[in-house]
Amino acid sequence: MPAGTAVLEPAVGANSTRRNSQSPGAMVSQALSRVNDSELIRAAQRGDRSAFEVLVRQYDQAVLRLALHLTGSEADARDIYQEAFLKAYRHISNFRFECSFYTWIYRIVTNLCLDHLRKRQTRKEDPQTVVDSSGRELDVLERVSDDRAGANPERDLMRRELGAKIAQALTRLTPRERMVFELKHYQGLRLRTIGEMLNTTEETAKNTLFRATQKLRGALAPMR
Amino acid sequence: MNCDWTRENLVLYIYEELADDAKFEFERHMQHCLACRQELESARTFKDQMAALPVQEISPNFLASNRMELQEALEHAEQARSGWGMFVFDFAGWMHQLKLAPALTAALLIIGFAGGVTTTYGLISRPDVPPPVGKGQQPSVADIAGIESVDRQTNSNRVTIKYDTLSPQTLEASADDPRVQQLLLLAARNTRNSDVRLDSIDILGKQPEDNAVREALVYALRYDRNPGVRLKALDGLKGYVKDDVHVRDAVLEALMHDTNVGVRAEAIGLLDQVKADSSVRDTLRVLAERDQNKFIRSESKRYLASTPNLD
Repeated sequence: MPAGTAVLEPAVGANSTRRNSQSPGAMVSQALSRVNDSELIRAAQRGDRSAFEVLVRQYDQAVLRLALHLTGSEADARDIYQEAFLKAYRHISNFRFECSFYTWIYRIVTNLCLDHLRKRQTRKEDPQTVVDSSGRELDVLERVSDDRAGANPERDLMRRELGAKIAQALTRLTPRERMVFELKHYQGLRLRTIGEMLNTTEETAKNTLFRATQKLRGALAPMR
Repeated sequence: MNCDWTRENLVLYIYEELADDAKFEFERHMQHCLACRQELESARTFKDQMAALPVQEISPNFLASNRMELQEALEHAEQARSGWGMFVFDFAGWMHQLKLAPALTAALLIIGFAGGVTTTYGLISRPDVPPPVGKGQQPSVADIAGIESVDRQTNSNRVTIKYDTLSPQTLEASADDPRVQQLLLLAARNTRNSDVRLDSIDILGKQPEDNAVREALVYALRYDRNPGVRLKALDGLKGYVKDDVHVRDAVLEALMHDTNVGVRAEAIGLLDQVKADSSVRDTLRVLAERDQNKFIRSESKRYLASTPNLD
């Protein structure tokens, strides 16, 4: 990424939507994190497993959060988490510092998630079914709660219904549209970074986001 | 700007992905177009609506159990071989893959059988085929055993490269010839002969606008054992410190960690053009305070003093 554009990649793991501009403090900490990551990566490339585990701990919450939101299943999220970091460990010698480590690890994770979504689409699984780690089936409505003080039951129910409708609408997107929307809307990543992660251009990522939002707006319009 | 353009860019606007000039035009159009304002309001409502399905926070227990499972798995995991190791045939891994892919096994058997029949037929029908090597041919990486020497002719763009295949080969062509580029990139990572690496990086450094070349230069700066090669790589990268953040990171790393003072001194010289950058200033502050080398300390202080503190 050319520095002339002065856009640094957002930190992984921050909550949903982010602003374009960042404080100088955040920029410095990101620059330092890049340098620290480089040292850890080089140590991991020499076979230092503890260095790799430090790297894992920097990114694994964000990876798990993404996988869980995309799959809706703790078991699937766990599989994606394990496979992604094992793959990263096995192939870390191929990491050539051409992109940031988080772009690289996210590239692995998004590929695994895309495979998962494609398989699910082929199997035509019921999107309303969400499975927790013990295998217990949960209704998607259970994922949507309104914990705000003063929330009334009627409003909470409406919110739950809307959440279920959104979950259903998201499953109607193609795996790629779902992934771009997820990374943009829920993870707050820049489209350029999303393009890098999905091995495509920023322009294609823009078009995919446009299509995804059109479909979602169409599906959710009757709710408004 | 018309309504069509505005609606096409509505999503980019609400996700703050519009460039400043486009954003200005977008907002100006909104001021006098009621229909587009309503569309924008609808898009914003949609974005707010999506918050009804929030991203769940990961429970500490779930995170901890995943970490433990991964830790166990890592104990038994092996890293993929790099360098020459990757060319060694992993029979066990191959068998494992075959076990998991019966269709692939069948396909490989069919291809192997067909290939064998074709080759046998070809050998019978064409008894005297000349060997496919010769001056000026495109060398295949798999055929190249090593690079012996790289020479650039004075006052000319011609380069002579001696390389080994089954027998020694020579290629003479222009420095920007793709065949020469391919060999130079290979020579830049030649582990045997540092002279070859030095000459290759020197020639490659003249054309760092090519991404593969720039990558080779960054690799040489980071990993080459020879300080002369690292200095040549720095020289080749100097035009990209300002615009390529990866190059800047590599130069910062060289400045902080390189074992050779000459390389570090050259690296700090390249940072003059980006000394106002936050990450650079932060590194300079550390060096100005703690670096063991007097020159690096004084240069860091000088750079810091010559730019206003924006943090």
